[in-house]
Amino acid sequence: MDQYRTVNLPEDLCVAAEKFMTGRFESLEVLIGFLLQEVVKDDVSKFDQAEERMIEQRLKDLGYI
Amino acid sequence: MKKRSLVLVTVDCLRADHVGFQGYSRPVTPNLDALAANSVIFSNAIVAGAPTYFSFPAILASRYPLALGRDVLGIAPHESTLATVLHDAGYATAAFLAGNPYLSRRYGYDQGFDRFQDFLSSDGSGPLPLGTTRGRFSKLNQLIQSATHRNGLLAGAYEELYFWYCQWRTAQQDLPMDTLRRYPAANVLVDEAKSWLNSLGEQPFFLWLHLMDPHHPYFPPEESFAELGAPRITARRARFLNSFWNRGDIGPERLRRYKSEILSLYDAGVHWVDKQLSRLVETLQNSQRWDETVFVVTADHGEAFLEHDDRYHSPTSLPEHLIHVPLLLHARELSGKRLSLQRPFSLIHLAPTLLDAVGVSAPDSFHGRSGWGEMSAGELSWEPAITECVDGCNNPAQADDRLRPRLMAVRDEELKLVVNFRESRDYLYDLRNDPGERMPLSPGQRTRERANLLQIARRHLLRTSENQNTDLRLRARLRELQQSGRMAGREASLS
Repeated sequence: MDQYRTVNLPEDLCVAAEKFMTGRFESLEVLIGFLLQEVVKDDVSKFDQAEERMIEQRLKDLGYI
Repeated sequence: MKKRSLVLVTVDCLRADHVGFQGYSRPVTPNLDALAANSVIFSNAIVAGAPTYFSFPAILASRYPLALGRDVLGIAPHESTLATVLHDAGYATAAFLAGNPYLSRRYGYDQGFDRFQDFLSSDGSGPLPLGTTRGRFSKLNQLIQSATHRNGLLAGAYEELYFWYCQWRTAQQDLPMDTLRRYPAANVLVDEAKSWLNSLGEQPFFLWLHLMDPHHPYFPPEESFAELGAPRITARRARFLNSFWNRGDIGPERLRRYKSEILSLYDAGVHWVDKQLSRLVETLQNSQRWDETVFVVTADHGEAFLEHDDRYHSPTSLPEHLIHVPLLLHARELSGKRLSLQRPFSLIHLAPTLLDAVGVSAPDSFHGRSGWGEMSAGELSWEPAITECVDGCNNPAQADDRLRPRLMAVRDEELKLVVNFRESRDYLYDLRNDPGERMPLSPGQRTRERANLLQIARRHLLRTSENQNTDLRLRARLRELQQSGRMAGREASLS
């Protein structure tokens, strides 16, 4: 991860986040990075997609699509 | 026009075929049977998820359990539920829940309730475990267990000896049922509910009771046996029965020897619920609030007693004894005679139906729709009921346990399709000719109907993934991150 992007956040939100993360995260950047990683992590959609494919295949096997 | 009040009673593990008003031969529910004579009975009420942690998002929030992602547990922060909607409409709201940890603040079930009592102890203390011992022998026991389990025969002999040793040790303690019971009995919750009701003024109210009396381990109040006319089972005997029934090292044939006694314990728990609910009804009648109250009794799922060599209510299959629950609805304008509705009714439609019954609009977020108008006309017209869970997820508090394939049932009046995504197979049952679900139809039988049910399953998958509420999902995920301690952050970095 060697490319970075600058974003603008409201100052009061940053102050509140810094209070929250005291002793938990090294910096605001680390906190936000952690949260974004959790948000984009997608362990579940692969299950959904596999299940949709399975049903479609069954319907194809039965000649209905 | 004065708004009507609502009482929702959910009974954990209550099977539809164990209540008198749905045909059970034992007189376990005389009070509910009498009420049923003037109520709407949904003969084929089907849960939208099982067990408890997959069932209740549908009951309270009219949301399919996996619709926010199978990794989300409970009610999301700011998710609309029966309680939040009624609270915002000016109702006094209270919940008294008999100590089920999956129905707690941790999982968002307190939202919308002025008063929320989950009867969970903060220090996790409780009665003694079943038939186990503690103390100086535990390390020696672990050594012996480890040594003997290198050999199958020795392992079996060890488990058998250890079980009977534990029974001998615990038999020396003569503990009463009330001490052995893991959850507060129904009378405790009804007492609290009565106090709360008596404290109210004229405003409409929503009261939710969740009763655990039929839930294992089965330790019903002893007076329940006498009222049932059943042979009394002592606390000592009940402790032994529960310990034996809980064994994981023996097969169904040995378990079957004690099935009838276990059923007696279970039925006594159901009977106690019935008796306590009659006290609640009496309180509403005496306070002249009965006529203005919609009163509902249902369950989150059933219970297995070796029908398929299974016990309890694990989400490893979706048989009728797990997903078919009782549903009784009493409202003044529908009383006067019993109305029995035969078509499958999914509990996904319960919350919008109840809101309609009390005259409050349901939010757009609800997946179900109201059946109040059709019910009032005496008939339901619904598509088949869908039940889903995460296959084998017995410990949902562990996030990894939720990352498994789905198990789904699509239930019509006479056919039931079970889709096992882990096996990539589907099983079609003819419930009219095979009510025990022992003989799935062969692949070439009822092909058109099978395809129709598969289409319904497919539409369900597509609809729930396309319409996923990402805002609620994110809130629920953040709540879990905070609760799991991952927000302690020491291990977090940008890399």
